[in-house]
Amino acid sequence: MLILENLSRSFREGGREHRVLDGVSARIASGQSVAIIGRSGSGKSTLLNVISGIDRADSGRVELDGREVSSLAEPERTRFRRQHIGFIYQFFNLVPTLNAEENVRLVLELNGVRGAEARRRSAAMLAEVGLGDRLGSAIDTFSGGEQQRVAIARALVHEPQLLLADEPTGNLDEETARQVFPLVLALVRKRGATLVLVTHDRTLAATADRTLVMRDGRLLEPAAATLES
Amino acid sequence: MSAIGAPTLWAASARHLLRHPAQLGLALLGLALGVATIVAVDIAVASSGKAFELSMEAVNGAATHEITGGPGGIDEQAYLALRRAAGPIALAPVVEGYVDVNDQTMQLIGIDPLVDTAVRGDTTSLGNVRVESARADQAGTAVPAGGGSAPTVVRGADAPPSRDSDGRAGKLARSASGAEQPPARASFDVASRWFTQPGTVVLAASTAQRLGITPGGTFTLSIGGRDYTATLLGQLEGTMTGYETLILTDISQAQEWLGLVGKLSRIDVRVPAGAEGERALARLRASLPSGLELHPAQRRTRQSLDMTAAFTTNLQAMSLLALLVGVFLIFSAISFAVVQRRRTLGVLRALGATRTGVLLMILIEAAILGIAGAAVGLLLGIAIGRELVALVSRTINDLYFVVAVNEVLIPPFAIVKALGAGLGVALFAAALPALEVANSAPQLGLRRSVIEQRAADASRWLLIAGAVLSGAVAAIVYLSERSLLAGFIALFLLLLAVAAITPAMLRALAQGAARLAGRFSPMARLSLGDISASLSRTGVAVSALGLAVAAMIGVSVMVESFRESLRAYLERTIRADLYVTAPGPGFGRPERRLDEGIVAAILALPALADHTESRRVVVDSPRGPVPIDALRLARSSHSSIPLTKGDPERVWAAFEQGAIVVSEPLSWHLQIGVGERLTLQTDRGPHDFPVAGVYREYGNDRGNVLMSRATYRELWQDDAITAMGLYLRPGSDLSAAKEQIRAISRGRQSLAVTSNADVRALSMRIFDRTFVITRVLYWLTAGVSAIGLVSALLAWELERSRELAIVRALGLTPRGAAAVIEAQTGFMGVAAWLAAIPGGLLTAVLLITVINRRAFGWMIDLHITGTQLANAFAVAMIAALVAGIYPAWRAARAPLASDIREE
Repeated sequence: MLILENLSRSFREGGREHRVLDGVSARIASGQSVAIIGRSGSGKSTLLNVISGIDRADSGRVELDGREVSSLAEPERTRFRRQHIGFIYQFFNLVPTLNAEENVRLVLELNGVRGAEARRRSAAMLAEVGLGDRLGSAIDTFSGGEQQRVAIARALVHEPQLLLADEPTGNLDEETARQVFPLVLALVRKRGATLVLVTHDRTLAATADRTLVMRDGRLLEPAAATLES
Repeated sequence: MSAIGAPTLWAASARHLLRHPAQLGLALLGLALGVATIVAVDIAVASSGKAFELSMEAVNGAATHEITGGPGGIDEQAYLALRRAAGPIALAPVVEGYVDVNDQTMQLIGIDPLVDTAVRGDTTSLGNVRVESARADQAGTAVPAGGGSAPTVVRGADAPPSRDSDGRAGKLARSASGAEQPPARASFDVASRWFTQPGTVVLAASTAQRLGITPGGTFTLSIGGRDYTATLLGQLEGTMTGYETLILTDISQAQEWLGLVGKLSRIDVRVPAGAEGERALARLRASLPSGLELHPAQRRTRQSLDMTAAFTTNLQAMSLLALLVGVFLIFSAISFAVVQRRRTLGVLRALGATRTGVLLMILIEAAILGIAGAAVGLLLGIAIGRELVALVSRTINDLYFVVAVNEVLIPPFAIVKALGAGLGVALFAAALPALEVANSAPQLGLRRSVIEQRAADASRWLLIAGAVLSGAVAAIVYLSERSLLAGFIALFLLLLAVAAITPAMLRALAQGAARLAGRFSPMARLSLGDISASLSRTGVAVSALGLAVAAMIGVSVMVESFRESLRAYLERTIRADLYVTAPGPGFGRPERRLDEGIVAAILALPALADHTESRRVVVDSPRGPVPIDALRLARSSHSSIPLTKGDPERVWAAFEQGAIVVSEPLSWHLQIGVGERLTLQTDRGPHDFPVAGVYREYGNDRGNVLMSRATYRELWQDDAITAMGLYLRPGSDLSAAKEQIRAISRGRQSLAVTSNADVRALSMRIFDRTFVITRVLYWLTAGVSAIGLVSALLAWELERSRELAIVRALGLTPRGAAAVIEAQTGFMGVAAWLAAIPGGLLTAVLLITVINRRAFGWMIDLHITGTQLANAFAVAMIAALVAGIYPAWRAARAPLASDIREE
């Protein structure tokens, strides 16, 4: 269970305070896939950063499977993230100097899995996303869709409890997006992991188990969001 | 699990560096040059110092003490009397001087082999060398000296029988053909020739080979302008480095050649260890006649090396400057490598790499870079050091003491220092960007505007820091008064202040210029606006260049001011029409004396109106050796000596009555002024001289004492003259007078007869030679900063390749893109120059009034010309424009399609 409780986060810009998260609360069951939709700048990415512990909320709490993430200090937060959370980004964010297999293996190594075991698991994971024959290829030889597959493999190779996806198809054409996202859903469901997906794309959001709307720094059920608008 | 343990992470790190070979190479080269400069200076200084120490060790042998007298030497009778009082203490007389052989300066050592064994009995002594017979009819006969002295064995007949019977003396006696000679016969033969054949000398085999002198051959020794023929009696085989500059001869032969008949240069003393030795030493000290002093043997070496301390400290400070510029270079390279990978580092943090892991990764990268740069720098430094040795030893020969450096020494300390400096600089430079990125939240793709905003904020803080540093400089200078170290700290802080102020100045200039130029051309606005908008890149590069240019302005204004002050000084002091000098190496060497007959003949010349006489020697004092110029002044000469303290009329009246006039450097070093007294060791014992005045002088940085020749003659019993200044009657023909003097001296003594213009020109040549090494070090520093600029520009150009590609896609030609880059680098050159001017001038003031004053005691008048600033401008512009060539070339050739498409 992922519990978000009254999360607030503000940024200072010049002399003005900009409140990005304003009392965000939600409960997401384990294994559930949730899409968060909202306009640009509504705080979706900030929310993902706060959930993962990359950023800290000014107030409120984040709890994943009974463990309070928001109260963890560095470097515990980092350790928690690398063990329990996977990330998929719009712009893939692969390490350009590593090949596909190394990009995936990196996460395992950070989690203490080394050598042949790490190689075997990363190769298997890449095979699962359909890139088993391109383990040693350089990142810049992949197409956008293929790069995102590598990113998906990297996000799931260490079997995280929670997968956070920030506009995972935002940088892909429609056709490729239609191939990639079902793959993500299938892999997540196969592992019983929880998925939090941030997207503009309502069609994509509709494929998730549940949809939430981010508006004015708050997270609303679609019905409530409709009422408010 | 730390990120450090993940091999893939290291692969990513290494590949990033290797994918940017130009950046990596430039950073390595810059660091290597900085390290190389300090290594080179260390090698040059250590090699010169070691060569001198070895030559002193070779001369001193196992002597524990020495007895010295005045410049006239020690009377032989005093030595005989001391021998009787010495008890268990061994004494050995020495006569020494400097000679020229084939334009090479060597030290002539005259010893008495009969008594030398007792003093030079250990492994470092002359006694451990073999003497090879040189005569053709027994060529190659080698006689070992064994544990005793070479001369003792050479004087075979006089040697104790035990030396031949102990097996050491004779075993190595072998002819060139390999036939063994009876040892006793060989010893006897060589010994008899040592004593009976005039002009016999012994050289180290390597020296004889270098000079092209074969055993039995003759060669010419030039001593104080007189030429003598020497015969090579034997060679010292397998000798230490110190022997390579020595010529050994019998003491009576040395006395004759050096004009010291009946005199000794010093008496070497070997005191046995223990209480008995101490008591005997006390008795010996008590029995010393007036005018003689007993010192530890190492004192002379130490004092000589101490003389060069300020000179070598200055060199080392200059070399550190190159390393300081290197700090900026590494900072620039590492911070760029970090910024370039900020997104990747953010991904790593998001994936679970800890802050410590990222911090360590960057620092370890920097450490590897530092060690690699230091290693390359070490090799480069050894190569540069070999060349620098000649420059340093030439300056030491010109200004301090005679030393011949035949071997380049690489001190272990220099290696440790190089590696430490490389590593330290790299870690120090990397610490800031590493901490910054490690402590940032691991958000991806930190916006460029945020980075630049931080850089702009930092430039404002740096401006304040620059002001604080400037205040600290003023406070340090004001409070430290005499400390040279504090002076150097102030100098480095001042240069750091220049570097700190530069980014803010660059930003303001670029913004102003962009506004102004933007009215006429959007392209100009874009180009100039880019400079201020990319302060995180441009600021560091221009700071490094500004620092180097400020140092250049400072050094060149200082050198030019010094040069101008010296020129004015020479104009005033070198007034006689002709100068006649006994030539030879070394200042104040007693063997440099004019032949009495020649002096008398010159004084009888009809064209002579007036003259000065000068005897230049170095005498002992409780505060170290003091150079003395004992003068008989011409009537008009008093006004030529530029007094800076004391009323001229009273000063010169007191001077004739026995008072002394001290030079500014001496006044500064000894902290002695008008009205105070300076004690000097005379032949009659210590004598207190009242100081009547202080005068400006640039002859040497130890300082100098002027006293009347009459006073000197009375107290030191030395009638010799080192040089004369001749004032000719009006209308006299200078060339004819010169020719007459040459005719007088022909066949008797080879004299240096020079006009005042020649003396001035020679002085200026020596001055320029002295500063060659400063200029070499400066150019190395400028080289480091130019590399830094290239590196930073390259990095900047890489970052903005997309922006340039867009402008090119809109219609900017490749040539136009290159021009934009060159215009930008040119502007940065101008900005660096402008920022460097105030700092450079302050650096000059600091160098002149603090560093030179505290190190050498010189007073220099500030002399600023437009040429110095124009030269600095040219250097800044050349460095900037050259640095822009490669980035401009790349910008013009960059593939548009991929640059535009890339995220």
